[in-house]
Amino acid sequence: MKEKLLTILRELRADVDFENETALVTDGILDSFDIVSLVAELNAEFDITIGVDDLEPENFDTVDAMAQLIEELAD
Amino acid sequence: MTLISVEFALFWLVTALLYFVFPLKYRWTVLLGSSLLFYFWNGLGTGYFMLFTVAAVYVTGLLLDKYNNEHKDYLKSHPDMTRDEKKALKQKMQKKKRCILSAGLVVSFAFLVFLKYFNFLSGQAFSVLSLFGVKGTAPKIDLALPLGISFYTLQATSYIVDVYRGKLAAEKNFAKMTLFVSFFPQIIQGPIGRFGHMAPQLFEGHRFDFREAKFGTQLFLWGLIKKLTLAEYMGIIADEIFGNYTQYKGLIILFGAMVYGVQVYADFSGGMDMISGVAQVFGIKMAVNFERPYFARSVSEFWRRWHITLGAWMRDYVFYPLSLSKAFANMGKKTRKVFGTYIGKMLPTFLASFIAFFLVGVWHGSSYKYVVYGLWNSVIISGSILLEPVYKKIIEKLKINTECFSWQLFQILRTFLLVSVGRIFSRADSLMISFNMIKNMFSEFNPWVLTNGTLYTFGLQPRQMFLVFLVIIVLFVVSLMQEKGMKIRESLEKQNMLFQWLVIIGAIIFVAIYGAYGDQFNAADFVYQQF
Repeated sequence: MKEKLLTILRELRADVDFENETALVTDGILDSFDIVSLVAELNAEFDITIGVDDLEPENFDTVDAMAQLIEELAD
Repeated sequence: MTLISVEFALFWLVTALLYFVFPLKYRWTVLLGSSLLFYFWNGLGTGYFMLFTVAAVYVTGLLLDKYNNEHKDYLKSHPDMTRDEKKALKQKMQKKKRCILSAGLVVSFAFLVFLKYFNFLSGQAFSVLSLFGVKGTAPKIDLALPLGISFYTLQATSYIVDVYRGKLAAEKNFAKMTLFVSFFPQIIQGPIGRFGHMAPQLFEGHRFDFREAKFGTQLFLWGLIKKLTLAEYMGIIADEIFGNYTQYKGLIILFGAMVYGVQVYADFSGGMDMISGVAQVFGIKMAVNFERPYFARSVSEFWRRWHITLGAWMRDYVFYPLSLSKAFANMGKKTRKVFGTYIGKMLPTFLASFIAFFLVGVWHGSSYKYVVYGLWNSVIISGSILLEPVYKKIIEKLKINTECFSWQLFQILRTFLLVSVGRIFSRADSLMISFNMIKNMFSEFNPWVLTNGTLYTFGLQPRQMFLVFLVIIVLFVVSLMQEKGMKIRESLEKQNMLFQWLVIIGAIIFVAIYGAYGDQFNAADFVYQQF
């Protein structure tokens, strides 16, 4: 799942080192347009519904946090 | 009692003395008392509007909380629910909560919309009706806009949306809710705080901390310098150019727009520094509203650095909910079929951004110029995203190095230019005037005005121009240091005591001698106070 996630992220923003960044949203590396595109991709790919209340920086600051969010929503 | 007055200094001092004398547990009541006193002193009899909003969000919060708890309790008592059952329960609860939230939002926004936009909408409606031969005078309301209504309404409504989303438990104490909405430093012009960030700080008593008090006072002083020795002087130039726009052409118009940009930054961020400084003395850290916006390399980055709390409010409560709504998702599917994957995918997001910036525009005031001001920013941001692949190709073809300083400088200057042109809409007296000014800007190429002494004819003496130049240099150096991660007050603290005092006393003397205050220039008004 993490590999799929990384593929989506790299397609979205090829210029970002997703594996090593730890503050993707907090540092403004991913902006609100990126987040909306990303959420649409993740919802479609993993058959989940990421709601507005899930759009917290701590859920999107790292790849691991995103993976955890996907796992929780898929349960 | 304005922020820059002896009365306010005394008010701040007395509040601080009382705050630190009161028992820890009850210190928030001092802030509440002072906030209400401040509001009713300044609010010109409009305090009941603010209290009504407090009551509306208080009741809405409690009702929403009831459903949140019911939902949680049901899940707890039914641990074997399937995913689909949980989803159905969530939807059922959300439906009920949505009705309550909608009612709370309508009631909370009613006064803002009515008091701020009624005269404009009524005038427009009668203009349209007159086209169909209907005669009459548009009804008008003659009520002062309640102090800080544009700020406290957004702050109050963010609370109920956060309770609706289950991020917060409702506040049970009405007096504490009143304090959250009316906290006296921020009621004037923000920052638009969030309950989750502000409430614990406001309600928990803070012990006196000399360092916090020192830092708070220093920040207040820094804001005062920005306001009195930069914003006020820049305002004189901007007022001259915008007030007599028919006399000016070419670069002078652009110069006026840039000067206004600096004025409004020094004014608003200066005000924020003063407000944050006041709060810091009580041990309260306000939300950050500015992060050196003129270092932004794109307009979208500018909006992440400028009036951050308004941008964040629009993002969290308008842009995200719209972008992720079913209606917008369906729209995306349709637009992909028509415009292809890339554009089709982005169009609903652009529309959400368009709506958010439209609201940013009208939040500033009831005039078409503010609508265009908001949309100008939206079009540039959406346009730059849409054209990104084209830019990339051009950059590759021309072999431009985008990793060097000169490219970054180019991006910063380009952003400043675009933002400045947008400012013409917000500062000009009307939309037609702003269009005329932009037309005049391109009607003459007159770069010599920068060197032939014209700049000294806008109301400032050469001595004052030099002063402004000096303050801009200091502001630039300080901003650059902050951009590099340096903490100015902490760094000053590490210096010898003599040097620290020299800097502080020097700053006080500087602002006392050179500050534009008193009868000649009315320093009491902050640009954003009127919004």
